[in-house]
Amino acid sequence: MSKFISKKDLNSWLNKVREKRRLIAPTKVEDLVLFKEISKVEDIVSDYVNTDLSPKEFFFPPTEVLFSIAKKDGGVELTPARVEKETVIFGMRPCDAKGIIALDKPFLEEPTDPLYREHRDKTILVGVACLKACPECFCSSMGGGPDDPAGFDIMLTEVKDGYLVQVLTDKGKALMPDSMLSESKEAKPKAAEVAKVPAEGVNVRLRQNFDDPYWGRLADRCIHCNMCSYVCPTCYCFDIRDYPNKGKSDRVRSWESCQSAGFTKIAGGHDPRANKGIRMRQRFAHKLLYFPEQFGVSHCIGCGRCVKSCPVNIDIREIISDVQKLGAKGE
Amino acid sequence: MSETEQIRAKAKELLDSKKVDCVIGYERATDGKNARPMFVYNAKDTDRLIFDQTCRHNLVRYLLNRKDKVTGIVVKPCDSRAINLLINEHQIARDKVVIIGVVCPGLVKTDWNKTGDKLRDACQICQQRTPVVYDVLIGEPKKVEPPADAYPDVTGMEGKSVEEKRAFWEKEFSRCIRCYACRQACPGCYCSECFVDRLDPLWVGIRIAPAENEMWNTMRAFHLGGRCIGCNACEMVCPVNIPLSLLNRKLEKEVMTLFKFQAGLDPEAPQPLAAFLKDEKLGVAE
Amino acid sequence: MAVEYQPRIVGFLCNWCSYAGADSAGTARMSYPPNIRIIRVPCSGRVDPLLIVKSFQMGADGVLIAGCHPGDCHYTEGNYYARRRFALLRPFLEYLGIERARFQVEWVSASEGKRWAQVVTSFTNQVAQLGPRKLLVPEATR
Repeated sequence: MSKFISKKDLNSWLNKVREKRRLIAPTKVEDLVLFKEISKVEDIVSDYVNTDLSPKEFFFPPTEVLFSIAKKDGGVELTPARVEKETVIFGMRPCDAKGIIALDKPFLEEPTDPLYREHRDKTILVGVACLKACPECFCSSMGGGPDDPAGFDIMLTEVKDGYLVQVLTDKGKALMPDSMLSESKEAKPKAAEVAKVPAEGVNVRLRQNFDDPYWGRLADRCIHCNMCSYVCPTCYCFDIRDYPNKGKSDRVRSWESCQSAGFTKIAGGHDPRANKGIRMRQRFAHKLLYFPEQFGVSHCIGCGRCVKSCPVNIDIREIISDVQKLGAKGE
Repeated sequence: MSETEQIRAKAKELLDSKKVDCVIGYERATDGKNARPMFVYNAKDTDRLIFDQTCRHNLVRYLLNRKDKVTGIVVKPCDSRAINLLINEHQIARDKVVIIGVVCPGLVKTDWNKTGDKLRDACQICQQRTPVVYDVLIGEPKKVEPPADAYPDVTGMEGKSVEEKRAFWEKEFSRCIRCYACRQACPGCYCSECFVDRLDPLWVGIRIAPAENEMWNTMRAFHLGGRCIGCNACEMVCPVNIPLSLLNRKLEKEVMTLFKFQAGLDPEAPQPLAAFLKDEKLGVAE
Repeated sequence: MAVEYQPRIVGFLCNWCSYAGADSAGTARMSYPPNIRIIRVPCSGRVDPLLIVKSFQMGADGVLIAGCHPGDCHYTEGNYYARRRFALLRPFLEYLGIERARFQVEWVSASEGKRWAQVVTSFTNQVAQLGPRKLLVPEATR
């Protein structure tokens, strides 16, 4: 027996959720499916496999004010930015929840990023299991799975006329109490078949082949835009600037990418990662080697967004296989 | 022989004879449907080269990284204009490139893991089916009848009211994530430091927000005024589908009207914004 | 009656002719609308289109470029290049939803103080008539 909610009840629940909170869900924008604030529940799409951009922007926005600086009584007053409204993200996929778990590592471990903490505390994640896989995704090779509930407050699995419901946290329980749900004998449908990549032990191989000419050859094709970092649900590099604003000043944080040319430029003009191949290696080594070593979880969660959007088809799945094939030399 | 076979044979010949150090062409992407750029250093890899209507990249961009080596390159007609542009701007030398020009049937609309048979909008109105510069030509040269209106998209936009235009561009630019793929894919965008990357003075703020996005997108387009060769590489790589060709083509149209100039047709012709005539009437301060 | 709308106008003036022209208007005690904020540049050819787009973005209602008359450029040909650049920029701005009348280029020599006053007066009126720019995009700061 499992809990069940009908599609009709779910829609009226979403409408209720929306009254006091910001409801974010996948919706059509031109030819894309994106997470956007929903004003009409009917705008939510359900026939998507995954969104074109990741939901990380609701925890780590492309641009946000961290705090404002103003002169006051001969001193300086800092006013930290606050997150006003509670947010509910509906329709997130299991890979993206894994992405949030990965983002939590650098942002929530000491010293904690207070604004990220607040975004996290004030957001409830309602996931929907994948019954269909994208041709480019590979979550089950990166420690996740198409029906993995990790990270969600509520997880739904689509069945005929409704959804099977798993309420996983107290936050979830408060939003969707048992009284709303009925019992269903419907068997849980089979999760999507997800393609596999040989990611096992790739960190070791990466270290062994750190200086292989492979990286330089790969960089031949790369055009060094920032697209992979910006569509990625776990890339978290940023830049900070002060924006003077009518006598005050706002300290602003915006996304940055390790793939852009000036990213590692330091005072005096030296750039330790001036070479395209080294920048490229940095990205994959961070995903598959440094981050797992530092935090114990993979930094690539296998959503396949970078694979799909890369203009020149730099495919992390192919890179993982290639690095494995390079074998145990070096070290 | 198909185009693919001819390209393979030529690439093999160039590499075997050591006339070039590398041939840049296309191979099948990992989705099995699209094409991706390929750098061939070894004659035995030439059988991976392909050419079909999915080969959308403008490979001329890569020549900027290989200025001192002789490179073979596969170009479509629009891409070939970029070679002239770069020669004109003293970025590459003609004797450092061996150009394998391909008569272009027009590109089809493709997406990740999807190919169709419908021609891209830009290719439907394209008048350049034969490369303007090449060492070897693959395919039969084709003449295309010019369409009655070469700029239907631009004319449509021009007809809108000021409010409609503002609303349209604001909506489009608000989606921009500033990944700069448009710049990176463009053969004409090669400044060693782009205005958007300047930190002092900071011309464009770091915020990924509508105002800064608008600044970026409009200035990117204007810097290509009279230089854009219309390959549409920028628009094709945009992850959020901003119609950049509407900006580029507006400038192209104005450059045509004002200066009777099209970029990349002649490697010697001075560029319109880098030249002047003393007595010209352009409708400015008259 | 409510306070009359005062447009904000940015003027880029070439050091050698137009800035001196504005000076001579001042010395001759000619009056013209104070809405213009003048930025002195070495030559009209130095005015990067970026400066114009940025001015509009930061809330300018109009932008006026003034330089030496063709043939009189201190650097011989800077204003010829400027002429071409702005001939292309103007329709582009219009295309982006910035009315044609908000952007103007004028040649004003050092001795044309009177003409400078006239140019500013008529441009200010022209921009005032259009009303404030509908800034759908919030003003960029910095």
